[in-house]
Amino acid sequence: MQFFGGSEISPSPPVPTATGNNAHMMYIFNRNGVCLLYREWNRPLHTLNPQQDHKLMFGLLFSLKSLTAKMDPTNAEKGNLGIPQLPGQGCSFHSFRTNTYKLSFMETPSGIKFILITNPRTGDLRETLKYIYNLYVEYVAKNALYTPGTLIKCELFNTALDQYVRSIA
Amino acid sequence: MGREVSESCIDSLLTEMVSTYCNRFYANKPELAARRIEAIGYQVGHQLSERYTMERPRFSDHLEAIKFICKDFWFELFKKQIDNLKTNHRGTFVLQDNRFRWLTTMSIEQPPENGTSEELSIAADNKALQSMHLYFPCGIIRGALSNLGIPCAVSADISNLPACSFVVRIKA
Repeated sequence: MQFFGGSEISPSPPVPTATGNNAHMMYIFNRNGVCLLYREWNRPLHTLNPQQDHKLMFGLLFSLKSLTAKMDPTNAEKGNLGIPQLPGQGCSFHSFRTNTYKLSFMETPSGIKFILITNPRTGDLRETLKYIYNLYVEYVAKNALYTPGTLIKCELFNTALDQYVRSIA
Repeated sequence: MGREVSESCIDSLLTEMVSTYCNRFYANKPELAARRIEAIGYQVGHQLSERYTMERPRFSDHLEAIKFICKDFWFELFKKQIDNLKTNHRGTFVLQDNRFRWLTTMSIEQPPENGTSEELSIAADNKALQSMHLYFPCGIIRGALSNLGIPCAVSADISNLPACSFVVRIKA
């Protein structure tokens, strides 16, 4: 299985937008681990360089998904790991929370992973992530000028995403 | 009337059609690709105008036919009418759609002012590809009008997105 295929160039440095945003940052990965989008709204602390940051995030989520599926005490028959599943089907990890932030995750059947990092008091963001996936389908997947597997450089998607994230509670 | 098809299917089909003609069939020959795409639009417009004028009487003059294109025809195709119609009363009409349905999802990142030459050429390529997508609707309008007995030439103008203008010049 190829993990970090595609170009090694990280997405361009994020533009910090106006204050009042509830989210800290957002990642979108595709099935091969290529970081399609990294947007940052409010991140005072940078520990690693962008390359390592993305690799770490992808690796973490892959391991978490695998761990949570293996430790599931309820499901008698275990499906294969890695088959396409709708969000919520099977045993799917969807968020973790620390005392300083909350990370919400959603994976689509096509392998696109959405990660949103917000303040710890945020509620369940699964519907939010579904909406962001809809924005992705509308402005990225249906964009005639976008090549799948490359960095997302679509103005309409970025604007719509910023606007929506500003409005989540 | 008739059966229905999903809009996403149509969008994807049109995107793929333009991409195939530009990158595979007539790679490096954009004028030929444009001509073929416009010809496909011509056929489609021809047949659609036949279908949508079934119960109507003949049009009295050119302006009536153009108004039909702006209102009923555009509504059947895109669920909205043309927003603005201008004419110079000498055979040229400008049809402006403030939110052209097939262009709403298309967008690219504007390159920075002092971008590298590679970035600027990519941006120029994207702009060219965007205008390729307009040959099909131009062909539809031309096909529809020529089926109504009005030979013309149609071109498109996307200087201010997402609004899109179609310029129809009627041949004397």
